[in-house]
Amino acid sequence: MTIKPDKYSVVGKRLPRVDAAIKSTGEAKFSEDIILPGMLFAKVLRSPHAHAKILNIDTSRAEKLPGVKAILLNKDTEEIYAAPDETVLATDKVRFVGDEVAAVAAVDEDTAIEALGLIKVDYEPLPAVFDMEEALKKESPKVHEFYDDNIPDNINVSFGNVEEGFARSEYIREDRFVINPTHSCFSEHHMCVAYFDSSGKLTVWTPIQSSHFIQKNMAYNFKLPENKVRIKIQNVGGAFCGRGSDRTYHYIAALLSKKTGRPVKLRFTSDEEFLVYRGGGKYIMDFKTGVKKDGSIQAVYGNFTIDSGAYLATQFIVLRFLALNLQMLYKVNNAKCEGKLVYTNNPPYFFHHGAGMVAMRFAFGSQLDQIAQDLGIDPVEMNLKNAVTKGYTTPSKIHYASCGLSDCIKKTAKQSNWKKKYGKLPKLRGIGIGCGMIRSGGKGMFLYDTSAAFLKIQEDGTVHLFTGLPDMGQGSYTAMAQIAAETLGIRLEDIIVIAGDTEVTPLDIGAISQRGTFTTGNAVKAAALDARGQIAKLAAGKLETKPSNLIFRDGKISVKNNPEKAMNFSDAISEALNSTEGRYVMGRGFYNPPITAADPKTLEGNSSLAYSFGAQIAEVEVDPETGFVKLLKMTAAHDVGFAINPMAVEGQMEGQIFSGMGQTLYEECLMENGQVLNPSLLDYRTPRPLEIPEIESIIVESNDPYGPYGAKEVGQGPIQCTSQAIANAVSNAIGVRIKEVPITPERVLAALRSKDRDSCKP
Amino acid sequence: MKKIINLKVNGDIYELAIEPWRTLLEVLRENLGFTGTKKSCGLGTCGACTVIINGSPVLACLTLAFEVEGIDILTIEGISQKGSLHPIQESFIKHGAIQCGHCTPGMIMSAKGLLDKNPHPNKDEIKKALAGNFCRCTGYKKIVEAVEAVSEGK
Repeated sequence: MTIKPDKYSVVGKRLPRVDAAIKSTGEAKFSEDIILPGMLFAKVLRSPHAHAKILNIDTSRAEKLPGVKAILLNKDTEEIYAAPDETVLATDKVRFVGDEVAAVAAVDEDTAIEALGLIKVDYEPLPAVFDMEEALKKESPKVHEFYDDNIPDNINVSFGNVEEGFARSEYIREDRFVINPTHSCFSEHHMCVAYFDSSGKLTVWTPIQSSHFIQKNMAYNFKLPENKVRIKIQNVGGAFCGRGSDRTYHYIAALLSKKTGRPVKLRFTSDEEFLVYRGGGKYIMDFKTGVKKDGSIQAVYGNFTIDSGAYLATQFIVLRFLALNLQMLYKVNNAKCEGKLVYTNNPPYFFHHGAGMVAMRFAFGSQLDQIAQDLGIDPVEMNLKNAVTKGYTTPSKIHYASCGLSDCIKKTAKQSNWKKKYGKLPKLRGIGIGCGMIRSGGKGMFLYDTSAAFLKIQEDGTVHLFTGLPDMGQGSYTAMAQIAAETLGIRLEDIIVIAGDTEVTPLDIGAISQRGTFTTGNAVKAAALDARGQIAKLAAGKLETKPSNLIFRDGKISVKNNPEKAMNFSDAISEALNSTEGRYVMGRGFYNPPITAADPKTLEGNSSLAYSFGAQIAEVEVDPETGFVKLLKMTAAHDVGFAINPMAVEGQMEGQIFSGMGQTLYEECLMENGQVLNPSLLDYRTPRPLEIPEIESIIVESNDPYGPYGAKEVGQGPIQCTSQAIANAVSNAIGVRIKEVPITPERVLAALRSKDRDSCKP
Repeated sequence: MKKIINLKVNGDIYELAIEPWRTLLEVLRENLGFTGTKKSCGLGTCGACTVIINGSPVLACLTLAFEVEGIDILTIEGISQKGSLHPIQESFIKHGAIQCGHCTPGMIMSAKGLLDKNPHPNKDEIKKALAGNFCRCTGYKKIVEAVEAVSEGK
């Protein structure tokens, strides 16, 4: 932890979260806690088949059940598509076990469940496909009729010239890496309360990362003016990039409310969570990297085959991310990416923590580590040699105005005692490094990457800050309040944050693509500066100086170099209101990174103004009897630009290391014929407190010139490093490279056995 | 079908008419409005619904309301007294042990169950006591530190 000079009085401080007290008492409301008069409860009837034709649906018996208020079938869904390839309820075909066929709204959950049992659906099972390589064969069943090859999206993009790069290389390695499906395991399940009131206005309470998108999409789909769709995000029980936008269940609840004229609550049970969750799917990654003998990378080629499951929805962004990331962490002049998403009759996937990049970083980082081993280069040196630096522009024209990657690598190496440990640890102990980066912002993912903020100041100098940015646990309310408080020179407790309610708060793309601190932070700062400018004008007159000569700090407005000449912030506000003008101080601001989005075909262009970087060094111990890998310690450094709240930054780093450890060593949705075999937290193993590793977090501050107070993201950057660091440490411990994640005891034992076999060969 | 039950929650007695199969979690949240006790897995795997019954942490989603008639039930709403927070709550806030906050009430009740019986647990005892509580955000490090700080009177 760095001790900050007193340059600032609110930002840079380890302050408790603004919402911590009400969260500690359970008073903080989640969507599940919304209980409305006359509220109905909905349940969804799901397909038991992975692929089948629907011949007939008979709802007559369910309709007669007392307490049933509405039954929804595809014909009642107003031809709404929740995504381009996905209707709200199944039309004439189901495509995965769990696909939504019908929905019921009833006076209570028990009645709704009973009604589901009374709906009779006649299916004609169709041949199904679960394996991607099978799905790619010409004769394989087609999941969607409008594609004749089960490939809804593909990419083939190059930066530089890989052929030349490989020709120049002195050492080339090719490996196949695999990651298996994982589940997000939000503490708060997917759910939605929807209410069409008698004025025709639709209000939706739901945990989601962006109120703006869902408002826009629901207004479009229901043909409503946007101001008649109110999205109210309460507290959100975790998101980990799995709650990006509107899904079928939002429309099911809304349509049932429209049908009944009553509020409808739809919440999923634990096993449904594993069907509707859309965590990460399976990735098969073929990597080829060419280097000079000194370890400098000449060319990288990545070929990704990704299971999209039964619906594509918004997964099309992933291939673009992967292509760009091949040349964003290291100085790679020649990179080529090929890849495809593959429809199967598995549950539809999206992302689990890390936006798909963790998989790619695991593959690339593992291969680079192996190349270092093959060439006898220290992996830390290998990373340092290739690391991008401040001022670097990648072949795709991404530019780094700040970059602390080398600092992160050096600091983790020093703190972890790398030099004394690498290659010198006892048998079955290992150490490994992983590096990562991610952008702060989402330019190009959306038509505009805008955040707006608004604040009003009461007569006593206290502030209401309005932002569209939801807090899913990452601490954005606190970060936004700290930025506003610092800019206005008042205390954190003088600010109340009102967020994520489209009827009240201004537009914000949302907590997506690590954009909160950077983009909304800049908007909040702009709004606070707008208010400060108004106050300064008045205070300057009182204090007989120029507005630019004033300092706002600790509740006081004082004259630069003359601290005696000062007035209270609250007095200035009161005087403004009581002046002849009667000014009520309100500040407004917005921010959109002033860059042109990357070209969607060539991907050339800058996608953000700020990028964060990190390095992690893992130490593991492997039990040769059981194959269990214990993560002993993780030394982590992350360049966050500037830590608005170091305690919250540490919390983000620790949480991501733990989550990354789960993805790497424990977690896998076991699939058989499209069924999840372990759909509960008892069977889907995640780490718990007894498995906490020692974590040392190092905050690196590169002071980004565009970030609010120099800040960049910490939302999904740290987890980019975790998987590869652990995998590299395992390889270091057992002398075999495991190329499939999770590195479960079974896979470790198999690797140890294959090593024994190899060593027995003549 | 409904039967009358007297539930003693946070020292107050509530007379209710409920179906015998209703869980304590449902009755607390839906009949009595104690939504501080959070609902998550509903299968006893995550600990979000932990309450204290007769001094021990219990999962409200696996407990039928009728099983605990007349027994002292303490929920998160009952541990802060007269507007001041419980020291465990204070410590969670101070140590940054709260992120999304959905698991927090259950986590605090499990911690209270431990500290009431063992005021000075070691780190392993704390981890064991919290092992039934699922947190997806924090990585538990700051949660364990917060509980440790309470036991050390910090």
